Amino acid sequence: MTLPSMSSPSMISPAMILHAPRSEAEVVEIVRGALAGATPLALQGGGTRAGFGHAVAAEAGLSTSALSGILRYTPGEMVMTALAGTPLEEVEAALAGQGQRLAFEPADHRPAMGTQGVPTIGGVFAANVSGPRRIAGGAARDSLLGIRFVNGRGEALSAGGRVMKNVTGLDLVKLMAGSYGTLGLMTEVTFRVLPQPERVETLVFSGLEDQAAAELMAAAMALPADVSGAAHLPESVRGRFLAGALPEGAATLLRLEGHAASVAIRAETLTRALGARAPLQRLGPEQSESLWRAVRDIHPYAEDGTQRPLWRVSVAPMAGPGLVAALRMEAGVDAFYDWQGGLVWLRMEAEPEAALLRGLIAKAGGGHATLLRANPAARAAIPAFEPQPAPLAALAARVKASLDPHGLFNPGRMG
Amino acid sequence: MQTFFTPAQRADPALAESEAILRRCVHCGFCTATCPTYVTLGNELDSPRGRIYLIKDMLENDRPATAEVVTHLDRCLSCLACTTTCPSGVDYMHLIDHARMHVEKTYARPLPDRAIRALLARILPYPARFRLALSLARIGRPLAPLFERIAPLRPLAAMLRLAPKGRPAAAPSDVSAKPLASSAAGSKRAIPYGNSTPASLSAAGAEAAPPARRVAILRGCAQRVLDPGIDAAARRLLSRLGIALVDVPGEGCCGALVHHMGREEEALGFARRNVDLWTARIAAGGLDAILVTTSGCGTTLKDYGHMLKRDPAYAEKAARVSALARDITEYLAECDLPALPARGLTVAYHAACSLQHWQKVTLAPKRLLAAAGFSVREPAEGHLCCGSAGTYNILQPEISAALQARKVSNIEATRADLVCAGNIGCLTQIGAATSLPVVHTVELLDWAYGGPVPARLAASARFAAAE
Amino acid sequence: MSNATSHAAEGPGCAPIAFLPPRPDVLARRDEIMAALTELVSAGGVVRAPLALKPFETDAFVAYRQPPLAVVLPQTTAEVSAVLAYCHSARVPVVARGAGTSLSGGAIPQADAVVLGLSRMNRILEIDLENRTARVEAGVTNLSISEKVAAQGFFYAPDPSSQLACTIGGNIAMNSGGAHCLKYGVTTNNLLGVTLVLIDGTVVTLGGKHLDAGGYDLLGLVCGAEGQLGVVTEAVVRLIARPEGARPVLFGFDSSEEAGACVADIIAAGIIPVAIEFMDRPAIAICEAFAKAGYPLDVAALLIVEVEGAEAEMAAMLAEIVTIARRHGVRTVRESQSATEAALIWKGRKSAFGATGRIADYICMDGTVPLSQLPYVLKRTGEICAGFGLEVANVFHAGDGNMHPLILFNANDPAEAAKAEAAGNEILKLCVEAGGCLTGEHGVGLEKRDLMRFQYSEAELAQQMAVRAAFDPLWLLNPSKVFPLEGRPA
Ligand SMILES: Cc1cc2nc3c(=O)[nH]c(=O)nc-3n(C[C@H](O)[C@H](O)[C@H](O)COP(=O)(O)OP(=O)(O)OC[C@H]3O[C@@H](n4cnc5c(N)ncnc54)[C@H](O)[C@@H]3O)c2cc1C
Ligand SMILES: Cc1cc2nc3c(=O)[nH]c(=O)nc-3n(C[C@H](O)[C@H](O)[C@H](O)COP(=O)(O)OP(=O)(O)OC[C@H]3O[C@@H](n4cnc5c(N)ncnc54)[C@H](O)[C@@H]3O)c2cc1C
Ligand code: SF4
Ligand code: SF4
Repeated sequence: MTLPSMSSPSMISPAMILHAPRSEAEVVEIVRGALAGATPLALQGGGTRAGFGHAVAAEAGLSTSALSGILRYTPGEMVMTALAGTPLEEVEAALAGQGQRLAFEPADHRPAMGTQGVPTIGGVFAANVSGPRRIAGGAARDSLLGIRFVNGRGEALSAGGRVMKNVTGLDLVKLMAGSYGTLGLMTEVTFRVLPQPERVETLVFSGLEDQAAAELMAAAMALPADVSGAAHLPESVRGRFLAGALPEGAATLLRLEGHAASVAIRAETLTRALGARAPLQRLGPEQSESLWRAVRDIHPYAEDGTQRPLWRVSVAPMAGPGLVAALRMEAGVDAFYDWQGGLVWLRMEAEPEAALLRGLIAKAGGGHATLLRANPAARAAIPAFEPQPAPLAALAARVKASLDPHGLFNPGRMG
Repeated sequence: MQTFFTPAQRADPALAESEAILRRCVHCGFCTATCPTYVTLGNELDSPRGRIYLIKDMLENDRPATAEVVTHLDRCLSCLACTTTCPSGVDYMHLIDHARMHVEKTYARPLPDRAIRALLARILPYPARFRLALSLARIGRPLAPLFERIAPLRPLAAMLRLAPKGRPAAAPSDVSAKPLASSAAGSKRAIPYGNSTPASLSAAGAEAAPPARRVAILRGCAQRVLDPGIDAAARRLLSRLGIALVDVPGEGCCGALVHHMGREEEALGFARRNVDLWTARIAAGGLDAILVTTSGCGTTLKDYGHMLKRDPAYAEKAARVSALARDITEYLAECDLPALPARGLTVAYHAACSLQHWQKVTLAPKRLLAAAGFSVREPAEGHLCCGSAGTYNILQPEISAALQARKVSNIEATRADLVCAGNIGCLTQIGAATSLPVVHTVELLDWAYGGPVPARLAASARFAAAE
Repeated sequence: MSNATSHAAEGPGCAPIAFLPPRPDVLARRDEIMAALTELVSAGGVVRAPLALKPFETDAFVAYRQPPLAVVLPQTTAEVSAVLAYCHSARVPVVARGAGTSLSGGAIPQADAVVLGLSRMNRILEIDLENRTARVEAGVTNLSISEKVAAQGFFYAPDPSSQLACTIGGNIAMNSGGAHCLKYGVTTNNLLGVTLVLIDGTVVTLGGKHLDAGGYDLLGLVCGAEGQLGVVTEAVVRLIARPEGARPVLFGFDSSEEAGACVADIIAAGIIPVAIEFMDRPAIAICEAFAKAGYPLDVAALLIVEVEGAEAEMAAMLAEIVTIARRHGVRTVRESQSATEAALIWKGRKSAFGATGRIADYICMDGTVPLSQLPYVLKRTGEICAGFGLEVANVFHAGDGNMHPLILFNANDPAEAAKAEAAGNEILKLCVEAGGCLTGEHGVGLEKRDLMRFQYSEAELAQQMAVRAAFDPLWLLNPSKVFPLEGRPA
């Protein structure tokens, strides 16, 4: 994938035509029209992450805002089908009504990214966004069972289905998840959901250095405790959680969810094995809820009144602290960790330092960094997505061409 | 699987039997995973499923064996790990037996190969010749590196290396049968019999004469020469249990060695001779069991019924003999040996293929050892052959050496004090590559229940002290 | 030798599945190709004698057979790359092969193809317990990964019944599942990265020890692609901490429908055990005969439900399941009492297909249906087979609706074999009509290739083929599989 720099920060400028089709047939018509006129389209859901990434060199927008509604929800099978433009909130409310929820805990990044709008279920899957439960419940893509989408030839297609296991043909569902609207517009998504747990608890270990925290989290994940969230909040960000109510020093969090009796047993298992490593406190359901929501939504760097560059870095779990330490030698940086240390949220004090960061990631054994927020000039200069080695970029370009041969969708977004 | 035999072929009972075996195979591939040669070489052709396929094709088309096919069939250890694994119950043993006969009939082996096979077949089954050969081998050992360099002569090098360095330990002279109870009482390790003294043991004590159980021990061939101490231990232990030992003069090699080379007539010759002798013995006064301390031979004995089933003169007699054949541990497990206190020795139990995969005797040896106070450890990959496999270590030295190294490293990883197994081939093969003492299960049992310390342990200062 | 063999379809049944016609020019260059391959791999790495090629002619979908042009057994990624680059330049088709346990004929060669066997690449390269990953070569067997880390309290979760033998490369190609995937997900959910060699020899790395690699999810695309996109030579997989305890429990029912309905109700109650496996009467008898696991023989259907965790946790979940099972008239409930007994219960289940060989030949279907449809589909399956005069045994992963009717037949009777195939097709159509799919875990392969149109429109197939062509424009990788032969791009 080549990653041309962006020329304008916003995805859809006010002057653009914004199509809001009400049916798949209308989507097909619009795409065919665009095809005929060779006018690229900027795809959007709720537009909550409109400010992100590369500008889309499109003359018209195609929104799923009018493709909204839950089509089929069978709680007994733990499967829901919704139109892509259905607000995430609506989906979550319907699930909550049946004591269920999404497994992958999608974030609300509006505060961090300084955007507005209503996140849609289609947008969530298009960005493959997953929260802290990623390490236990999988990513968004792991929950997505089937889709309907319109490709760049204006064909309405389906992929996957509504059953848990399906290996019939190529898995285009995975390909479309996380493709940021560059391969086609999803009109309908079918996904797996999970029952809500009876109880949630969090173990907070205090005062650990980043490296010691990573070791503790690794040790916890090696125990039969089904930890569903493992995050480390260094002292610099600790105060931004629970209105400063977390105990002194850095906080290392382990979340347990499930049957109440089982949570109690597993908390004991963890306490016995790890209790000697640091002072330990246990938080009940309410505090846990708000604490993990804040971790999920990058709260320390949200609405922090800055445009300071914000990176999302994914590395091997044990590599996180070393990476941050190495970065600190050369640049001002603040960071906290999710995913057992493997997801690092980095806020640079001044410049994004893309080359430095990406160089260090490569040295740390590989991974990738995505620039979520920066001032327009920096964003114009820096590839938001991790650049790929040439053979892989070439392959990705061929894949893009196989779905969108005329480069109709989100040109420039991912390349 | 589907098979392609003509009605004429099906009229041949041997082919009909092989077809029935082939029909059961569903080509699921499970057996490949536990096959030592597939695990080592990574080629379907060196896997059970691959061999089954080669055999199927050869038999269906009544095709003479080709060099390529023979190569892959020869590499088979006959360990039967595949049979243990196979969920479908494919009787691989009798299929490969059939194939080996077909090879012997239709394939002209290159001269050196033929010569070595003939040599082995002429020497190993005959204790006197084998003893002589071993003495010569000790003299010839310096030639091994030379033979190593000449591909067709490599088996000779392997043979020379395998010959035990020292003179085979002579059987301890004390073969007399001390009753177990008294001997145990006299030893430092008092055996707490309590009230649960098993009938067999108290009976052995003296007073009440037990209903005499009469067993024969297969004297066999190679083991007699390589380590006479094993049978001696078995005799002592059985005698102490009050079991009468019956001698069957003239009985000899069970025929396994030549059988696995596809030399069917020779094998049947050995079998018939033994069947005759035992049958006579049975007629002369009864025999409760024919015990075998070399599990490789035990397997063949147990298969006499099958081998001779198409010989009207022998079918019935052979079946009777097979029904009496028992591994020594199988038999001892039914003798109610008393539990002894732990003795602080850990034993890595190596399950010989012939015991675990052929005879399916898996628990008895471990239970006996544990009851005798040893702490038993099972090495990883216990299903894999050690590479001994009869004459395999001589005929396929490279693969054999790879398996030997793998086996020994798994054994040593258990950090046990010593190794034990129920088959002389394994003892020799493993013993050649580890510094741990390697003994036969029955030697340990004999020791625990009042016999002398096994010769190989006595040689080690550490165990001598323990005694 | 170049004539593909299969049972002739006579009488009621369907036409045998065709292979792509071999390219005559490739056949003509056989010696030249052999010579070139011999140069590219280490000693013993090329199988060339026609007789020696026969054992490679099929996999566990043994009804179809076709010996390849040659077999090559490379030992490194570099050798794989060299072989593919050569085959690409010489325009020779390539069929990757792991352990050849595919039930859909995925690893069956074609007359003009080189089989690229990964069986000599069977090293575990790195175990990284802190990051909970294992890096292994593609020919490593599934079970050996779990065995390697068992002592440290970890395991690799996807557990196809064939896990003893099947390779991780094959698992990735088929996106294999298993009994315990109800809780832990299938291969794609436990795969972090691969080293993939493209048909022109290019080596690319997708993912690694980190999660959710940037860019398109090509890892997700390659997983389940049946060797159509490239050859996997290495994989990084996720390891999981072993639960404190696990206990399989047997629930016996008087009818398959009741057992099926019970499964749906367990899931509907929000209970997700680690595994829910289903066996009907014939399957119970077959498995019991092999494993002696103590399955009840007097019931019409059996569920093996496994719960895990701490003792109290298992007890609580079991109590809820028992309540539900009672509502469905459960006849026997038996908890395994020891680890040995639990192991036997699983051994019986995992050997089910193989053990079926004791009584008959079989073909194994693999459709998945929504749980609510289970009872109906089970009933119809029985009716369809009866209609063809055939026996059927059902043993499958019920918790996720992944059915495995085993259609029993006599392979030496061509007419019956053709009927079995026809019945299988009917059943798969039924699964699609019931809102499910043709294959849940065994892949399309050769077996279901010509049924793809039941599930996909022309445009959908064309789209998938276009994506495929982005990886392999010349269609050299396993070209007889997955996509119907007619309607392919020129
Ligand atoms: C780099 C990055 C990383 C992020 N990481 C996380 C994370 O780790 N966890 C988390 O919870 N959230 C994360 N987010 C936030 C996430 O992007 C939004 O929550 C989500 O996209 C909201 O949906 P929306 O409807 O507002 O989408 P939009 O902002 O409208 O669109 C998002 C992207 O998806 C495309 N798109 C939208 N709808 C469709 C459709 N129906 N079919 C095809 N394409 C479509 C758009 O073209 C656009 O490229 C991340 C965002 C970015 C930019
Ligand atoms: C008795 C039995 C039980 C089974 N149970 C299950 C089960 O419970 N769940 C399940 O999912 N499956 C099951 N299977 C099916 C089969 O075991 C799986 O599909 C398995 O993943 C195949 O692995 P393999 O190594 O044998 O691959 P093969 O059969 O050799 O190949 C399968 C496919 O993968 C491709 N391939 C193999 N290796 C590579 C590679 N390195 N790179 C690219 N492509 C490659 C081949 O070209 C072929 O298309 C079972 C099979 C049997 C015989
Ligand atoms: S395990 Fe048995 S049925 Fe399966 S391939 Fe091997 S021999 Fe055949
Ligand atoms: S007998 Fe042993 S070596 Fe021979 S095929 Fe079976 S498992 Fe392999």
